[in-house]
Amino acid sequence: MIIVFKIALLLTFGMFAIPKKWKYLLALALQVMIIIPTTSWALQVLNNDTITFDFGVSTWSGPIQLTIDALSAYFILIINLICLCGMIYASGYLKPYLPKKRAVFISLHLFSFVWLHGAMLLVVSMRDGIAFLLAWELMSLFSFILVIFEAQKESTLKTGINYLLQMHLSFALIMLGFLLAADQTGDLSFGGVGKFFAQNPNTPLFLVFLSGFGIKAGFIPFHSWLPRAHPAAPSHVSGVMSGIMIKMGIYGIFRITSMIQSDLMTIGIIVLAVGIVSGLLGVVMAIMQHDLKKLLAYHSIENIGIIGIGMGMGILGKASGDHYLMVFGFAGALLHNLNHALFKSLLFFTAGNIYYATHIVNMDKLGGLVKGMRYTSYAFLIGALAISGIPPFNGFISEFLIYNGVINHLSNSVFIISILGVACILSLVLIGGLCIYCFTKAFGLSFLGTRRQELFTEPKEVPWIMLLPAAILVSFILAIGLQPAFFGASVMGIIQSLMHEPSSEFSASAIHSLTIVGHVNILLITLAASIIGLRAWQQSKVPVASGATWGCGYTAGDFRHQYTPTSYADSLRELANPVIDYKKIYTLFPEKEIFPEKKTFHTESKDLVEEKTVLSWVHLIVTYLPKAGIAQTGFISHYLIYPMLFLILVGLLIVLNLL
Amino acid sequence: MLSFILIVAAAIYFPGVIVKSKAIFSGRKGPGILQPWFDIFRLLKKGSVYSTSSSFVFQIAAPIYLTTVLVSMTFVPFEENMGLFSFSGDFVFFAYLLGLGRFLIILSALDVSSGFEGMGANREAFYSMLMEPAFFILMGSLAMFTGYTSFHDIFANLHYNSYFSAIIAIIACYVLANITLVETSRLPVDDPLTHLELTMVHEVMVLDHSGFDLGIIKVANNLKFVLFSTLSANCIIPQSLDLAARIGIFLIAQIFFAAGIGWLESFRARNKMAMNAQYILSINAVALILIFVAMIIKNKI
Repeated sequence: MIIVFKIALLLTFGMFAIPKKWKYLLALALQVMIIIPTTSWALQVLNNDTITFDFGVSTWSGPIQLTIDALSAYFILIINLICLCGMIYASGYLKPYLPKKRAVFISLHLFSFVWLHGAMLLVVSMRDGIAFLLAWELMSLFSFILVIFEAQKESTLKTGINYLLQMHLSFALIMLGFLLAADQTGDLSFGGVGKFFAQNPNTPLFLVFLSGFGIKAGFIPFHSWLPRAHPAAPSHVSGVMSGIMIKMGIYGIFRITSMIQSDLMTIGIIVLAVGIVSGLLGVVMAIMQHDLKKLLAYHSIENIGIIGIGMGMGILGKASGDHYLMVFGFAGALLHNLNHALFKSLLFFTAGNIYYATHIVNMDKLGGLVKGMRYTSYAFLIGALAISGIPPFNGFISEFLIYNGVINHLSNSVFIISILGVACILSLVLIGGLCIYCFTKAFGLSFLGTRRQELFTEPKEVPWIMLLPAAILVSFILAIGLQPAFFGASVMGIIQSLMHEPSSEFSASAIHSLTIVGHVNILLITLAASIIGLRAWQQSKVPVASGATWGCGYTAGDFRHQYTPTSYADSLRELANPVIDYKKIYTLFPEKEIFPEKKTFHTESKDLVEEKTVLSWVHLIVTYLPKAGIAQTGFISHYLIYPMLFLILVGLLIVLNLL
Repeated sequence: MLSFILIVAAAIYFPGVIVKSKAIFSGRKGPGILQPWFDIFRLLKKGSVYSTSSSFVFQIAAPIYLTTVLVSMTFVPFEENMGLFSFSGDFVFFAYLLGLGRFLIILSALDVSSGFEGMGANREAFYSMLMEPAFFILMGSLAMFTGYTSFHDIFANLHYNSYFSAIIAIIACYVLANITLVETSRLPVDDPLTHLELTMVHEVMVLDHSGFDLGIIKVANNLKFVLFSTLSANCIIPQSLDLAARIGIFLIAQIFFAAGIGWLESFRARNKMAMNAQYILSINAVALILIFVAMIIKNKI
């Protein structure tokens, strides 16, 4: 089986040799070649124990081994699903680019897509430090190439370089974490990290890993690459990146979290706080966006925040010896990984459909898309409901697991954990409410109503091949919503094997709750369908007409009187201003103007967190580094003095016995 | 099952009592108690007019709104008598289910491309986002206080240690009553009678619904009223009485609650629109007091 995987990766180089129209088919075939063996391993592991085998490549630290345990298997299945959907979607999305782009760029793009898939699979199955870091680096590099697909635009290239730099910061921090552990234990691997945690205080090393993996995952304040890279990348890439690649950071944090042994309380509070901040700020900033893809990118931060909240509560449960809270917190976080992968890639693909049909992503200019793009709007609506955590869809199930863990814990816990539990509930509820606010805006104002701007061509539904991935994702979303007990039980099983926790009686009660949730969801759908049927029966007997919208007595209304995304977001402005610095920029009416001239109005909001945490330092560096230019005089004689000064300095230090 | 029947029973006279009491307070005779329901039946028999800009979302919104209210009624218990469904964390599902109905009604308002309905939709999204935490804090503190995690277990065990329960129950009842007013958009948040489209919340969102759709939205609103007031009644009706007496108290309490709303709407002015956010946040603050009371009682502080 491993040979198939390796042959597939080698054959990718053939992509550059074949004619343009076969490239896509080769990529798809290679991807299937990767998916079949890995999926079979993953399914094998989910039923049995960990499997380990040689990859057949050696580094200086010995042969590389693939180790697949339940957690890896879970991530492998998600990676395969999302990447396959992304590839199918790409076949339609890339079509307009094929005549325009040179063959080598198309090859490079597809090559990187397959390799990104392969690299992510390697990331979740490598335990050796060097091999893991190599796979991690491959993942970052190939995703960088994918992001700069439209490199002819300067802004895309700039974004890509920003992304590449931040990913290397992440790489450096993870490497630092491994090296710190190896320095003491002599074992450069996840095993070594585990040994380190057994002997030393856990917080410092955990923080190093949290920031390293957190950059990839997009936790605030490490998020600034996310809202830039996702809109710049083509939609199949942003779907895969947001759906699963940022989850590699979460995978890493899960792996590390399963090993920590002391300082649990501190670590739990830190993770919870990071989760709450990411969740709340992510969604607030999302509401203020005009660009649909940027809005979705900020929602990724919010969902990563929800995962962080679940993990934080899980760690706190472990700290306080409450197995119920621990298993539920972690299980909710883990299931939310899958859920977010499903609905976020669905939303990015449908946003891509909009771009494909209209070449617009600015919501202020969209509107009324439901008329031309029926199936796309079904898919987007389901994605919007699912991401807002609304039953009968999947987003609710994972949030329900976290809620369930926390409320069961409230009564018996100590003061500090009760307060944190209340904070967790409060932030989850607020995130849910803000999500409804945001997605009624995103769906209602871009798909419903009438056009806000004349378009050159009437938007048409996209080809069926671009709707196929949406259909696959929707069927999974519904499956989790209607059969939550099965998925809940699997996730809890993974957590129990990861945390070495014997299965216990409470998982039965949780399965019971989830079973009822599933039943009620089915009841909900049937009841709604029967009421709609009842109405159809009633309306078959009475006249049904259509007419203009009731304008409250005003008969000259037109499309410009509709609510716009800007005005919809306006009520939140006052509450959110401390973090977004929202500004209205407009021309005033001069006093003596008789005939009104053209006026402009626009709004803008800033990401103050990024400004304060990242950009302020950058500004400092940009301001003060040029001052060092004084030394660069342009005279060789001066440059010769510098080594001389250095030698004198070293000499002095030796004489003074400081070196 | 008992609670489901009681909610339906109380919903029959609840809207009538509000209308009647408002009429009496303003010195009129007023229509009969059942008049609101006659109006609804008339609507259910009528034909409909759909806006030309509306889409499938408009078609499914009203039926799903009614469905969510009906399904959430199955969770609500009547003290020790379970609802149809009861499981750990059911109040979370209850709140999110109402969220589904709200989501679709908001979308249906945006679907007809009217600026007025857009305003209502925006307000509904904003107010409910602010309101929802209060409900969760309330239920969370009741869960903390009783040690149980489903509607049924919480309300069945709320009345045991009497003095403390009384404090908790009264604050809870106050918070729930306020949540009811916001959820159903009555005074002081919104005056359903002003008919000034620029200031309305709920009523303006359904301006373009007609016939059957409008009828079922009104049914859902009436049921939603009693749904929340049943939760308040669960907090305060003492459990020591026998079942018949409690059912009697429940039905009478609903009359008083409805008359109270009529009284409030007759003598109080609507909040300034910009003040509503503050008003809703103050309810959240009261709910937070509840959680600290629960912590003190549980000896955590």
